[in-house]
Amino acid sequence: MLKDIASFLNSKVSGCQAEAYEAEVGDGHVHFAGEHLFACAKALKESSEYDMNVLQVVSGVDYPERIEVNYMLASFTKNTEFILKVKLPKKNSDDVPEVESVCSLWKSANFLERETYDMVGVKFNNHPDHRRILCPEDWEGYPLRRDYVVQKEWAGMEVNPAHKVNSGDQNFFKEVVEKMGGDKKKVTYSWKSDAEA
Amino acid sequence: MIEINGKDIGDLTTLNYEKMKSDLLTLNMGPQHPATHGVLRVEIKTDSEIIAEATPYIGYLHRCFEKHAEKIDYRGVIPFVDRMDYLGAMGMEWGYALTVEKMLGTEVPRRAQYIRTIVGELQRIASHLLFYGVYAIDLGAFSPFLYAFDEREKVLRLFEELSGARLLYNYIWIGGVWNDITDDQLRRITKFVDNLEEEVKTYHKLVGENKIFIERTANVAVISEEMAYQYGATGPILRASGVDWDLRKKRPYGIYEELDFDVPLGKGEKGQVGDCWDRYHVRVQEINESIKILRQCLDGIEEGSIMGKVPKVLKVPEGEIYLRTECPRGELGYHLVSDGGKTPYRLKIKSSCFTHVSMLPELAPGQMIADFVATIGSIDIVLGEVDR
Repeated sequence: MLKDIASFLNSKVSGCQAEAYEAEVGDGHVHFAGEHLFACAKALKESSEYDMNVLQVVSGVDYPERIEVNYMLASFTKNTEFILKVKLPKKNSDDVPEVESVCSLWKSANFLERETYDMVGVKFNNHPDHRRILCPEDWEGYPLRRDYVVQKEWAGMEVNPAHKVNSGDQNFFKEVVEKMGGDKKKVTYSWKSDAEA
Repeated sequence: MIEINGKDIGDLTTLNYEKMKSDLLTLNMGPQHPATHGVLRVEIKTDSEIIAEATPYIGYLHRCFEKHAEKIDYRGVIPFVDRMDYLGAMGMEWGYALTVEKMLGTEVPRRAQYIRTIVGELQRIASHLLFYGVYAIDLGAFSPFLYAFDEREKVLRLFEELSGARLLYNYIWIGGVWNDITDDQLRRITKFVDNLEEEVKTYHKLVGENKIFIERTANVAVISEEMAYQYGATGPILRASGVDWDLRKKRPYGIYEELDFDVPLGKGEKGQVGDCWDRYHVRVQEINESIKILRQCLDGIEEGSIMGKVPKVLKVPEGEIYLRTECPRGELGYHLVSDGGKTPYRLKIKSSCFTHVSMLPELAPGQMIADFVATIGSIDIVLGEVDR
């Protein structure tokens, strides 16, 4: 099915060079360059053959060199679903890549894209209400980036103050490791003995 | 000639709403409003009683489990997903366990499959009973809440015996379930189910056929089929809009393929298809369907092991997967990306409540504030799942 979709997109949107990736484990996907996203999504939604009428979720994944934005599309009339993926190159760790919003095709994209912007840091052009959604408006950084470091202070408050950190658990773990002669691997996190497990 | 707020509104015979519009008043509903079912804040702009604009603000319960999951091994994520939809935690665990099992290629023993279905359906019943009670409270009826919680308590007691916790179970593990179910417990579930079937009829008569309830919910906040697709609505909300879509039927997982049950749909009995009353009725009917499923599971449960073969140190092969299951509130999806390590590289959770909240700005305009309360109640959100 993925190959059919890729060839369908190549015929509908010139120059998008969509490629299908069939996975051995888990799900495959169809991917292409970010600038063709809107045209491809529109073609998929309006085609009577695929009729992708539902956008289930937008999922951003951060990699060192790029950010992948996955659109889980589904057709509730034909009972099909697949992952549409765009790979957005990232120049440096602070870079916020841009991609076209699909809000005008699926209204669910409004919140989902806002969440992706908030958490992973992808800018969606032509989004009607481009704000953070889960974090406060003036929060710094994008929490789900791999290299994210939480800010020290927000609105005059210390973030993660020492007296609020659950140090009991950490101290307990240190104690147990010491008892085991400093070997972390011997601490199994389990109450069962080896014979039982 | 009459003037209101400096505007000429014509004489009394030609009064209409457009002319009488006054300045908008901004009102904060929540985050501690009892009708918002948790910490949802909705900023509403009202013209006297009528809402002109509503903007939901979420994130008050944001704990970023997706970030936590990147640091914890695969088994350790289960207690975290529990805490998303704390009223339907079994469904959350089940979805996560299925996702990892599919990547690992683990086979789950038949007995564990049956136990999972039993607890999953009991959870659905408990969740819908809570909806029933709380929705009645939203609309001003107190006693249905007490009836519903009486029955729900029995389910929670059973879960407590099974897993040691009333709400956050950590019961369904990767490869099977943690604890075996005893024959005595199965007998008690049979008794509970027989009793509940009669009770539900009474419940529906008490609330669903009540004149006041019908007046408050019929024709309120109608979600059409097209709108449900546009917003990616799932679960009871999609079915109330008349769409025959249930993952347990359309993309069966576990042992649902072998079970016989119907999918209740909204028919617009008291008003239009997809109104609040339909959403209420679909959920009440789903309790009956769950009872049907439970009976079949109780008859068919097999002896055997409850845990499949899972390596001691879990390493999920490289790749990605998107898998969804039918939870009490709608479809729950997990997008798991693995780089072959001991922890997920990325775990994105698709929450149905999150997409349902995004419908509020379209549903609210033109409604009375009291109807808006009925609307929020009918989409049955849990803020733990919205914010994650």
